[in-house]
Amino acid sequence: MLACRQVSKSYRTERGIVTAVSGIDLDVAAGEFAAVIGRSGSGKSTLMAVIGGLSRPSGGTVTIDGTDLWRLSDNALSGFRNGKIGYVFQFASLLPTLRLIDNVALPAMLGRRHGASGSYARAAGLLERMGLGGYLDAYPSEISAGEQRRVAIARALINDPALLLADEPTSDLDEQTEGEIMNELLTINREVGTTLILVTHNLALAERAQQVVHIANGAIVA
Amino acid sequence: MRLLANLALQNLGRRKARSLLLIAAVAIGSGVVFTGATLMRSIDDSMAVGFTRLGADMMVVPEGALTNITAALLTVEPTDLVLDADVLARAHIASLGRIAPQKIVRVEHSGVGGHHDLVDLIGIDPARDFTIQPWLKDKLNRDLRAGDVILGAGRDAPLGSQLLIFGKPHLIYGKLGRTGVGTHERGVFMSFATLEALAGSIPQHGDARPAVLSLGKVTGFLVELAPGATALQARFAILSAVKGAKVVTGDSSLSGIRQGLAALLQGILALMVLMFASMAVMVSVLFSAIVTERRGELGLLKAIGARRAQLVGMMVVEAVIATGVGGVLGVALGVLVMRLYERSLVYYLDNIGVPFVWLDLPQTVAYAAAAIVLASAIGALGALYPAWRASRRDAYELVRGEG
Repeated sequence: MLACRQVSKSYRTERGIVTAVSGIDLDVAAGEFAAVIGRSGSGKSTLMAVIGGLSRPSGGTVTIDGTDLWRLSDNALSGFRNGKIGYVFQFASLLPTLRLIDNVALPAMLGRRHGASGSYARAAGLLERMGLGGYLDAYPSEISAGEQRRVAIARALINDPALLLADEPTSDLDEQTEGEIMNELLTINREVGTTLILVTHNLALAERAQQVVHIANGAIVA
Repeated sequence: MRLLANLALQNLGRRKARSLLLIAAVAIGSGVVFTGATLMRSIDDSMAVGFTRLGADMMVVPEGALTNITAALLTVEPTDLVLDADVLARAHIASLGRIAPQKIVRVEHSGVGGHHDLVDLIGIDPARDFTIQPWLKDKLNRDLRAGDVILGAGRDAPLGSQLLIFGKPHLIYGKLGRTGVGTHERGVFMSFATLEALAGSIPQHGDARPAVLSLGKVTGFLVELAPGATALQARFAILSAVKGAKVVTGDSSLSGIRQGLAALLQGILALMVLMFASMAVMVSVLFSAIVTERRGELGLLKAIGARRAQLVGMMVVEAVIATGVGGVLGVALGVLVMRLYERSLVYYLDNIGVPFVWLDLPQTVAYAAAAIVLASAIGALGALYPAWRASRRDAYELVRGEG
């Protein structure tokens, strides 16, 4: 499903070139749950951004379902991200001026896959599933951080992505909420068959993954 | 796309103070441009009416007749003095081109307008006239006949309807456009034959009817110079050949005013261009800051699949809404300012002998639309580059607030 070959990413800074990710080879099968662990600043988020088509690698290839991501044109890559990849960031990433249902429907509207009424019906269904059926017209500022994270997951799922990338989605949440959200992600992986790559510091959770990728100094160490 | 347009609108509402300041700045800029352009064009048209489109290069009237130069080059002023109708033809002056004789009688109690209104009945020779008929705005679909009259723009009656002058029915053949010249605006024009037919009905003052109503007499002539001839040559030729005549041409002080106004208009134009350029720079700088501030949001939109064109479109729509609203307000402001200063401006220009003609409604609407479109275009251009630059960045850099 996912194949990374010799992926590297370097940044040019005032202090010189910083290598965030170096020579990573990674394979994740369809429907698999892979956990990426490592210390802060080890390159986990950068790797996720490269895999998710958000950041162009300095070298190497990322192939998802046979498509070499970074050989696509900018528009094609946008379309690919929109249809194939769901991304849950490590911070609340909702647009504050849009209602929850608009936030969730937005990727479907951008991709023009289901039409406006279809997109909104799907968004309502997903919010219902996340236990937020009563908040369709609410704005992000009106709900809790945990609920915002659920909305972000619903948004990531709106286009039935083949790959769900979650970059420490519960980093700023309490233990109970973290548990509920992680269970939700694992249920999606198990029941829908969506491939899940999760960056986490929670080793207990990582142990439940079929594959654990340990990153240190931008490289896979285990 | 509606959702992105909605997002653009909501973004404007999110920073109300900044949006209002932007709108106010654009409103002032586009208001100045709209007002300046409208006034410039109006003054330009008025100058054209006053100096260029008068039709005649000079006027020949009886010596001793009082004349208002501006009005005179369209219509001769009413006077008791007359000239022979064939006096110029007899003189065979080579420096003269077309010659249009006019008879003017100022009457009271004619039945036209109010009871005590003074009305100028102006006789023309339709075949030789070149200063009145070019101003016909509406007319019947046939030539002017005996019994027909043409109304100046200041008089209102439907085409084809009947107008009683001293109880005699006349058919309204046509209406003139606005020129700003009083005689022209209020006059009732007709052929010599129609005026002569009315002569018996015009009340006598003192011993006799006005001399100009006599056959073979005219109030004056409007004259066009022959190609290549100068006003000076024609003036000398006329004065040496026609006794008791006065030649009236535009004088140097009017030329001075015209040149001064032309320089002023050029200065206003330069200021307007500078103002628009500075407005474009300001909008561009502001949107650079807005894009920088909203990198996270743009990165997020890009991450969930927004294409570059959609991102750029959203920012441009936002700018166009703000500057477009500014443009509309600016036009409204301009209209208000022009209304406030209308009287003093018209009075000033009238005093210097330039009849002021406002732009007609379609032209004013076109200028207003152009000012709004220009303001919106500045918004679009101002936002385009920063938005385009941001859209080229990696989504991840934008989300992290870089780039």
